Amino acid sequence: MRYQYVLSLFLLLSLLGSPPLAASNRNEDPSEALVRKIARDLRCAVCQNQSVYESNSDLAKDMLVVIRDKVQAGETETAIRDYFFQRYGDYIYLEPTAEGKNKILWWAPFLGLLIGVIALWRAILHWRTPTSRDNTAAESTPLSPEMAQRIRRDLEKTEV
Amino acid sequence: MKNIWQSVLLLSVLAILALFALGLHNDPHEIPSPLVNRPAPDFATQALDGQPIRLADYRGKWVLLNFWGSWCVSCVAEHPYLMELARNTRQRSDFVIVGVDFKDTEQGAAQFLARHGNPGYRHAFDPGQKIAIDWGVYGAPESYLIDPTGMIRLKQTGPLYPGWFEKMALPLIQATPPSHQGESR
Repeated sequence: MRYQYVLSLFLLLSLLGSPPLAASNRNEDPSEALVRKIARDLRCAVCQNQSVYESNSDLAKDMLVVIRDKVQAGETETAIRDYFFQRYGDYIYLEPTAEGKNKILWWAPFLGLLIGVIALWRAILHWRTPTSRDNTAAESTPLSPEMAQRIRRDLEKTEV
Repeated sequence: MKNIWQSVLLLSVLAILALFALGLHNDPHEIPSPLVNRPAPDFATQALDGQPIRLADYRGKWVLLNFWGSWCVSCVAEHPYLMELARNTRQRSDFVIVGVDFKDTEQGAAQFLARHGNPGYRHAFDPGQKIAIDWGVYGAPESYLIDPTGMIRLKQTGPLYPGWFEKMALPLIQATPPSHQGESR
């Protein structure tokens, strides 16, 4: 009975020690990691929202071959990204870059926030200070005798 | 004062809605080409006829570069116009059509030309679509018009249509002075 426990524990430990099946890319070419990184950030030109690396389309597969050739020829990541940008425009970047017209998208929310803060600040100032209109209204139209009389009458009627 | 702000707000909301409505009509499958008005990427490869072909050899002429494949359905629709255009422009010394048969087999291309007619111009053979990717092609058919100095002047995504040459290419060809065209010959 006891040796069964020992055996099962041993089996369990040996399972933990073995690498997962998916990690079979350990004897791949070291440059493949860079290929993967570049391909994950580029949009496959015939798919709407899939990277070159994930897509199964023929174009994406051939783009992957082009990336691999360029990596193996020693080109840098920026150079390869730029190569595709020159040909397909900024559509090719899965993550929009903060350049050119895209800057509007990046900065507009902060600009909106700033405008909002300024507007709120002005509104608070406006609420806290008595407006000039209230003052002038009080000064320019003195109480008419009838109105004064009416107020006095109403006050007398009111039980405090 | 308050009214001004209200109309400003209303106008900006309307402007955003208008932009949105315009955006709805964009085709997400159509990527604008950044290659227009840039120097054409050169290629040197084997042609379908088995001889070497180089784009730079056509410098000095207007080149209509047509990307196609025997697997492409729209290319069948486009083909009669290419046949007609090749026939009509055969006499022109300043204009030439070059095909790029990509992602294809030689047999497939031969069958296509046998079945739908051979327009007579040459085709670069690009089975791994290296040229196509180098030209930012993502579908077929796609066509580029290259001027005599080797600049890309026009891109047509999708089939060329009857009257395309007169409507799109001829104005450009006529607007470029012939003396300038002969420069790089």
